[in-house]
Amino acid sequence: MVLVLMSNRLKICLAASAGGHISQLLKLAESWKGYETCCVTTTGVVQEKLQKYGKVYVVGECNREHLLKVVAVFVRCVNIILRERPNVVISTGAAVGCVMCFLGKLLGANVVWIDSITNVEQISLSGRMVKYVADLFLVQWPELAEQYSNAEYVGAVV
Amino acid sequence: MIFLTVGTQFPFDRLVKSVDEVVSQDGFSDDIFAQIGESSYRPHNFEAVSFLEKRLFDKHIREASGIISHAGIGTIMMALDDRKPLLVMPRLKEYGEVVGDHQVAISRKFEELGHILVAHSKGDLLDRIKKLQSFVPQQRTNQAEVTADRITKFLYELSSLRKS
Repeated sequence: MVLVLMSNRLKICLAASAGGHISQLLKLAESWKGYETCCVTTTGVVQEKLQKYGKVYVVGECNREHLLKVVAVFVRCVNIILRERPNVVISTGAAVGCVMCFLGKLLGANVVWIDSITNVEQISLSGRMVKYVADLFLVQWPELAEQYSNAEYVGAVV
Repeated sequence: MIFLTVGTQFPFDRLVKSVDEVVSQDGFSDDIFAQIGESSYRPHNFEAVSFLEKRLFDKHIREASGIISHAGIGTIMMALDDRKPLLVMPRLKEYGEVVGDHQVAISRKFEELGHILVAHSKGDLLDRIKKLQSFVPQQRTNQAEVTADRITKFLYELSSLRKS
């Protein structure tokens, strides 16, 4: 009975850049309690904080202005997604979260995206891309939910 | 003691230099301790380190009478949690300090709501630093719990679908 339950347990990959993105994601830790999780982030600064949520992968910083770094990070993310094969990817951004969501989706994972509270007037660039593959897309300002059809406003995490 | 931090990821010479220049002016007497990251500007008027180990960083946040920082949401969250008076200077894309101007938007919004003070440049910095000591931040209630519940519900429905 226990073995059957464990094999039905969802495997979740948490993905967020170090800094404000991870801080916001960790505010939601109650939601993945009891599930098997692993974490993908950009620098080792937050590794200690994340270790209680399972294996932590540090893939390096990347943003839209350094495309070569994005490619390197992308390759590391491909290796992680093939190794972990999560059922769900939960992310608050930024670019690393976006990459993990798309790669996860390619392997059949469900995608949960929570756009950062710092995006006040419009959803982030990563968010605007991920909303095409997201199964649950949350925004933290009510006006943003009005702008996009599949965006849901529940509240602000901060 | 006022704690100045630029965050852990990028330098912020403009903030460090501005604070260094205004504190030597009349009417300012508080101690400042700074974590300046990879900023190349070294201040003359207060002690600064590049990096602080997490435990020490948290200790400085806890013990500070006020915090001056970039408008990174991570630092804003820490200050709100500890109910510390916080003065931010948003990083600007035009100076290569950040990839977009989201720090300006969140600063404006949180200033409107009374949670933080904002200085956009050296020009308004001295005035804001003087206000910092007596600033009482408006408390913020968040909906992290209901947001987590929403995700819990989603995961539960997904689990149920897989079992059936």
